[in-house]
This record gives sequence, C-alpha cells and structure tokens, in this order.
Amino acid sequence: MTADPASPELNDVLRLPGLRDGWLDRRVFTDPGVYQLELERIFARCWLFIAHESQLPKAGSFLTTWMGEDHVIVVRQRDGGVNAFLNSCPHRGNRVCKAETGHARGFVCNYHGWSFGLDGDLTGMHEASVYDAEPGFDRSRLGLTPVAQIASYKGLIFATFDPAAPSIQDYLGDFTYYLDVILDNDPAGTEFVGGSIRSELGCNWKIAAENFAGDALHAGWTHASGAEAMLGQSVPQLGHPDAVSYHVNTNGHCWEFNLDAVGNAATFGDRLVMRYLRAHHDQFRERLGETRARMVGSISSVNVFPNFSFLPGQNTFRTWQPKGPDRTDLHTWVLVNKSAPDEVKEAWRKGAMMTFSPAGLFEMDDGENWEAATRANRGVVTRRQPLHYGLGLGSRIDHPELPGNVYQGQINDANQRAFYQRWSDLIQAATWDELDQRPDSVQRPDSGKRPDSGQCPDSGRP
Amino acid sequence: MPGQRSAVNRRDETMPAASSSDLLAEVSAFLAFEARLLDEERYDEWLALFTDDARYWVPGVENRARRDAAGPVSEDHMAYFDDSLADLRRRVTRLMSSTAWAEDPPTRHLHLISNIEVETTAHPQEFQVRSVFVNFRGQGESDQATLYGSRLDLVRRDGDSNLRIARRKVTLRHNVLPAKNINTFF
Repeated sequence: MTADPASPELNDVLRLPGLRDGWLDRRVFTDPGVYQLELERIFARCWLFIAHESQLPKAGSFLTTWMGEDHVIVVRQRDGGVNAFLNSCPHRGNRVCKAETGHARGFVCNYHGWSFGLDGDLTGMHEASVYDAEPGFDRSRLGLTPVAQIASYKGLIFATFDPAAPSIQDYLGDFTYYLDVILDNDPAGTEFVGGSIRSELGCNWKIAAENFAGDALHAGWTHASGAEAMLGQSVPQLGHPDAVSYHVNTNGHCWEFNLDAVGNAATFGDRLVMRYLRAHHDQFRERLGETRARMVGSISSVNVFPNFSFLPGQNTFRTWQPKGPDRTDLHTWVLVNKSAPDEVKEAWRKGAMMTFSPAGLFEMDDGENWEAATRANRGVVTRRQPLHYGLGLGSRIDHPELPGNVYQGQINDANQRAFYQRWSDLIQAATWDELDQRPDSVQRPDSGKRPDSGQCPDSGRP
Repeated sequence: MPGQRSAVNRRDETMPAASSSDLLAEVSAFLAFEARLLDEERYDEWLALFTDDARYWVPGVENRARRDAAGPVSEDHMAYFDDSLADLRRRVTRLMSSTAWAEDPPTRHLHLISNIEVETTAHPQEFQVRSVFVNFRGQGESDQATLYGSRLDLVRRDGDSNLRIARRKVTLRHNVLPAKNINTFF
C-alpha cells in the first residue's frame, strides 16, 4: 500500500480496541488522517458499486461516478462488456468527460484535444503530427487508466482499483445468498429506473453506511413522523420477545431483517407494490425458498461494504460518496424487477420519491441526525468520549439455514460492530493476505472460537 | 448555440403575449402571498391554493451533453417531487407532526420570487405563469441551504374568481442538490 504508516496514536484509534465490548472511538468520524487512510485502504482497494447493467444499454453508453475521491467513467464496450477508467487525461489531468451520463463514441479532453476510444486508448490529439515526430512517443502507453478489476453480480457492476483484491465472488462471499433476495427473485432480473437523485450531506460517510448496515432501532423513533404521514400509524415495535428477526453479516457486508412484521414495501403504503409482491410470493418461494421469499418485502436494510446501501421492499439503492471527514454525497437510484408491469415500476419510482429522497418523508430526518452527530464529534473533549455500540453482545447464534454470522434480533448493534471491525481490519492490513490471516477476519458461525486479541466484533458465541 | 439544448429550457421562447397590467399585478400578489404562506409554514392554507387535480413536479436535473437528445429532464426519471394534491398533503402531515424532530426548532424559511411573466392561454380562465426563486433556509445556529430554480405554473381562476395552481413544474439549477434535504416547497 502507498499510504504512509499511521502514527502510533492513530494506530490506537484504528485498532478499535473497545469494539469487542461495544464501544467505538469517535475519532473514526473526525480525524483527517483516518480519512486519508480510508481513501487509500478502503476505497482504493475494496470492490465498489459503480453502475447497474441497465444504465449502460448499448456500446458507447456511459456514466460517470466516484470510487472514493477518484472520478471514473463507466462505459459499455463494443464487445458488450463494461470497463471503467479514471476520468482524467494523462497529459495534464483534466477531465475528459463532463456529463453524468449519455452516449459517446469516445472522450475528448477540452484542454489539448487528447482523444480516447471507448476502450480508453489514446486515438489522437491537437497537432498530432508534432507528437508523431517526437522520438519515443508511444500512444499505446498513454490511454486512460482503467480500474484493476471490474465484475458484475446479477446486474450490479462493481470495480476495484486493487489488482490484488480477491474476486468479486470471494469479496461478497456468503452475502450473495442474501443479495439474491432482491437481485434474483424474478427470472428476468432487475433494472434501475432512469435518473439519479444526488444530494450533499454534512456527515461522515460511515454514519450513513452503518445506519443501513444495522440500525433498525432508529426506524420507529427517527421516522415516527414519516410513518404517521405514510401509514397513519407508527412503525411496529420490532424488538418484542416473539420477534423473528436477525442481524447477519459476511466480510463486513450487513443485512438486518425480520420475517414476521409488516414489510418495507408496506411502509410506503403502496397497494400496487404490495399486490405485486403478494402475487409473486410463490415465484419468490420457488426461486429462493421460504425464508428468503419472506425477506423480499421485509422491514430490513442492507449495506454492502463499504458504502453501497439499499432497502429491500422500498428498493431505494444508494452510495455514500466520501468528500472529506465531514461531507458525503448521497447518490440514489430505484431498482425494479425488469418484468414488473409499468404501473408497478411507476409506483416504486414514486414511492422512493415520497420516502427516501431528499424531499422524502423518511430521509429528511436522517440527514439532520447524521449532520448533528458529525458536528458534535468534532469537539476535542467530546471526541474522547466513546460511543455505545453494546447492544446484542451475546446475541450470536447458529442458524440451520442462514449463512454468515447470524445474530438474534433486529434491534441490535451486531452488524454495526461487524462493519467497523471490517473497516478496522482493512485499514490496518497492508495486504489482502494479511487481512485473511487475521484470526477474526473470517467470522464463521461454526468456528465457535472467541479470538483472544482485541479484534473480535462481538463477544457473543454460538 | 442555436439549435442546441441549454441546461434548462427545451423550446424556443418568445416574449409572452402582453397580458394586462391588472392581471400581472394580481398574479404577482398571488405568488407573493403563496411565498409568505410557505415562509410562515402555513401549509394547510398553502395546500388550499392548489386545484384538486394539481400536479406538482420537481424533476431531477441531469448533467448531460448539449447534443444528448434526452435533455436534462425526463418525465419518467427520478424526481424530487412528482406529486398529486394527496401526495403534497402527506408531506405536509409529516412537516406538521409533533414527532418531526428535525423541524424543531423551526427552519427559518425565505422564499424570494421574481421575474414573473403571465401569458394568456386558449382557455380564458387559465394563465401560464413563469417565475424564478431563491429559496433560503436557516436552521439551528448556522446550518443553511440556498436553492435556486424557475417555475412554470398553470394558474386557473376558479368559480369564486380565486386563482389556483393547477400545474407546477420546478426546474432547479442544481445537479447535486447542495442541501441535506428539502423540508420546504418551491
């Protein structure tokens, strides 16, 4: 890795020694040094969500997005594949694509006319004859810089800048079992509704990501007013003694859900969507089995490590793009089953607008909380006070069916601890090999061992 | 660039057909009153300014090349609002709820409305009204957000001779919204 070694004091923060007992150091949200290490060791290394296949319908279809603070062009190739390149000219660094999406035959830099094909190759420039006469000048070595690896999982395209990163299958691991709930409940697959709504939040990206990773607790309280307006009633109590609900995680990817309460789809109160889900329940069961069929519209939330979140049922998909320790750009999309009737797709589009968008009844309250927390954490004395992440320390269970690390109860901090543990492991490990050798990096439910280092995400046992 | 798309308007515009100064004054006063209702969070009175069949649309504004035939705004793409009157009423229900924690202490709203143009239509009781706005919100000690945009309204005179908004299209001048939320209306 190219990051400078962290200072001893910073290393203490990065180790998160209190996490096993349910405490988090607030400096992970505020320290500029921590943020730079995140860019190097998380965002320049992990597989990041960059596009849905449906956004790039034909050769030349492109969109621009962010991988950490690196701007990239994602473009459909003539052979039908997809590639992604740094959106920066190798000559003077200017952007070569200034639109957020569209269709192009290639990309031309405004500055000196350096031109690039869809494959990123340098095809020409202003006053090309002078370059051609330049001894040793080699166009073939001056294309746009591609990502190291790019791969698709059932419609979702991910990329990584790290050639040494494990395959997308290994990176997602057991989590594909859960991803299929939303990506593979219909034979025709999924697509994104057109367009993307984007907004700026004055918060650290992790506070948003961990919210989707596991924070079912906030739903009934933060969103009391939204639920009242959408449903005419409050969010049902999720932590009652008979609740059948879980936190599950694999490699820092987190899903919290229940199998017994009113669904997410119901929380935007749309009859068309509910009718569609009910009418297709047998199909879901056939494709996914009974348990996962019940997860399709469950009250649930998901974060794919590090910064890609969604809500099954409501089908809002989003990335939290880091812009500094205390700023995050939120990009949102809506996922629908490709084969769903147009009026059902429209109901999902409008439902997302009504609930989880900057003007949405639910989202409005989240940004407020996250900004205020981020600001409070800046205080030099405040940030020395650890935050409590101690719910469900003994909630880990073995489950006959669910893979990954499984925890009893949706009202839990288990996933949030797993998210920060993965974050800590990645930010400390200089290589993926080193990460794999950490005693607790592979947290299998059947291991039954409690690591003796201070790295355990959870002191619970099977 | 003649014949190419600008970031906002997609059709050639001409000066509106002259409307009477009385009508312009009446519409201007109506829009100023509407803005004050929003500043003062008098949302029920604000909702009463819309017709029952109103559509309130605030599309996402996409950052596309001029040559891109799709243009910056598409009907079926994601939007901030694409609301019926019932949808607007639900948003107001949340804003006025005693559990809308983010609304307390209250936001300090300012709606500045300008560049008002009124155009008569084929229907004698309907007018096409253009305006631009600056929407400022202050919150807490120093939180603030300023949003800019233009509006294209269809304003209808109802049976009691009152003006009502039947259609509103709001075109923001932002691609990434420079705000954490939109706890207001335009």
